[in-house]
Amino acid sequence: MAAPDSGVTRPGLSVGPTSEFSLFFRVKDGQAPPLRAALLSLQDTPGYRPGDYGMAIQTIHEARFVLFDDDTRLAFITSFDGPWDAYMEDFFTSGPTLALFDAIFGHVEGYDGLPDVAAVRAFVLDAEQTAAAYARNYGGTVKEIRKSQRVNRAFQQVLDHAQAAEILEHPALRPLLDEAAD
Amino acid sequence: MGASLELDDIQAGALYERPSPYVGVYLLLCIRDRADGRELVRRLHRIVDPASTIGTADETSLTVAFTYHGLEALGVPQTSLDSFAPEFRQGMAARAEILGDTGASGPDQWEEPLGSTDVHVAIAVLSSDEARLHTVAEKARAAHAELPGIELIWRQDCYQLATGRTSFGFKDGIGQPAVEGSGRASTNPRERPLKAGEIILGYPDETGELPPMPAPEVLGRNGTYVVFRKLHTRVAAYRSYLRARSASRAEEDVLGAKIVGRWQSGAPLALAPDHDDPELGSDPHRNNDFAFGDDPRGFKCPVGAHARRANPRDALDQEGSVDVRLHRMIRRGTSYGPMLPEGVTEDDGIDRGIIFVFAGAHLRRQFEFVKTQWLNDGIFIGAPRESDPLVGPHDDSSSFTIPQRPIRRRLQDLPPFVVTRGGEYCFAPSLSALRWLAELDT
Ligand code: HEM
Repeated sequence: MAAPDSGVTRPGLSVGPTSEFSLFFRVKDGQAPPLRAALLSLQDTPGYRPGDYGMAIQTIHEARFVLFDDDTRLAFITSFDGPWDAYMEDFFTSGPTLALFDAIFGHVEGYDGLPDVAAVRAFVLDAEQTAAAYARNYGGTVKEIRKSQRVNRAFQQVLDHAQAAEILEHPALRPLLDEAAD
Repeated sequence: MGASLELDDIQAGALYERPSPYVGVYLLLCIRDRADGRELVRRLHRIVDPASTIGTADETSLTVAFTYHGLEALGVPQTSLDSFAPEFRQGMAARAEILGDTGASGPDQWEEPLGSTDVHVAIAVLSSDEARLHTVAEKARAAHAELPGIELIWRQDCYQLATGRTSFGFKDGIGQPAVEGSGRASTNPRERPLKAGEIILGYPDETGELPPMPAPEVLGRNGTYVVFRKLHTRVAAYRSYLRARSASRAEEDVLGAKIVGRWQSGAPLALAPDHDDPELGSDPHRNNDFAFGDDPRGFKCPVGAHARRANPRDALDQEGSVDVRLHRMIRRGTSYGPMLPEGVTEDDGIDRGIIFVFAGAHLRRQFEFVKTQWLNDGIFIGAPRESDPLVGPHDDSSSFTIPQRPIRRRLQDLPPFVVTRGGEYCFAPSLSALRWLAELDT
């Protein structure tokens, strides 16, 4: 998929509006313990605490950091709304990603850090591996999913109203009535 | 204060707007003979205006740019050609699929010779009146006329009305970024001037780096990439579409404003959500002084409106994945073809539209990003099935959501209102680069 001679990057596989994005790194010698500690403290920041659902980067569906091969390797795996390659420079100039990068990737090989954006870009592209297979179980962007959740919450509130059954009898509300039974 | 720009080496057209109104002409030339090509460049170098002369007596400006094939025809060494941005090397026609230029907008439908490898040199001459335009156009003509190896292959007259309005009836050219070191203040006090390297090569850009620059330095520095696109506007189709969905002329005006993000006068919806305010529209101190942060759901200005898509300002600041300042551009659009008379909704078969002109240091992350991610797509606003209601490709049944209380309005089955007639990626070199090109001895 890559077009090496043109210098133009290609996004990974995508399903609907969402593209997969997976990075694989080598942990620097002796850096596994501080890396684990950094990931633990990341997990304890607002947005990353289990149940927070408000990561600083609002266009990814989820993110995981996996230490493997006896803590010698690190994988960062996520799903991004839009083609991630179009946003490469943005990642390095918008605050939250930067902070994340500096805290985590300082412990892996090849990361010399900012402000050399071109080097960071090369570092990321180097670590990126396109998935061999990718599937999703729901369509839609994070924004759409959040909207659906808000709409469903509102719908449940309506159903809890004493006159809900009566109100939903109106022919225009038929599609909602179909969803009201369970 | 930022780094000072070498204004006496930068072509004026990239940095400064011409005072409105004006008339102009675009010329495309093909270099059949290398020596004649270099002689042409030598002559053009003498009549191109550096940015430092702007605001002085001569109210005519000439800008010159080259395509990849143009630089090749001049004998620029291959190593140097290879150092240009990949998109520039490929040319606009090769990027058509990515840019959404398909179907009626596809390169196979483009006006000749646009998109062909014969397009080598692009010249824009703009002037405050016909007489002055004629004088300078004559100079440009003289620059190539007695050179048998230079062929004029395309000519397009253009103009800007005193009102600044273009074919759909809207005042255009308002939203522009300021550039550090250009000496011009921002028309949007909420937007810091861009680092010079966002627009002019050879200076640090918003990432803190020097943008990738063609080599040798004398060729790349103080130059900028230029995109031109001839965009046919289907004005009658646009008017009939609105008419069929409106109960009154006032409602048509509202729908039009929601589609663009500004009223026809130029007054932004963010500041004038309910009614046009022509005084605001024509006041350069106020008509670009706004943001969208107080209107995240788009009740004043729809999140899908053309101008809000093209420059979301602060609307995406919370997302943590996009830096709007990396996707700004200088626009130098002009009109072509006569305006469709007021009120007419029947197509008269006459070609009219805008020659869209972009100037910036990054073809991919400025022009192509805005076109593909923000105008052709709706993922970023959580509406993947919607594209720009005014300029989007609309190949399948496109819709446009207008947030309003109590219930949003949704326009369905938008036909395409804009058709690409052709265009090219060019490079507008500095004055010293023009000299370097003229003196090549390969
Ligand atoms: C026929 C095609 C087009 C028409 C009729 C059109 C018209 C307009 C109008 C009426 C405005 C609002 C006035 C202003 O702020 O200047 C505008 C703004 C803008 N347009 Fe377009 N446009 C077209 C194509 C494009 C394309 C292809 C791009 C970019 C790839 C683009 C980028 C912009 C930008 C960046 C703004 C300024 C937004 C701001 O800063 O608020 N336009 N356009």
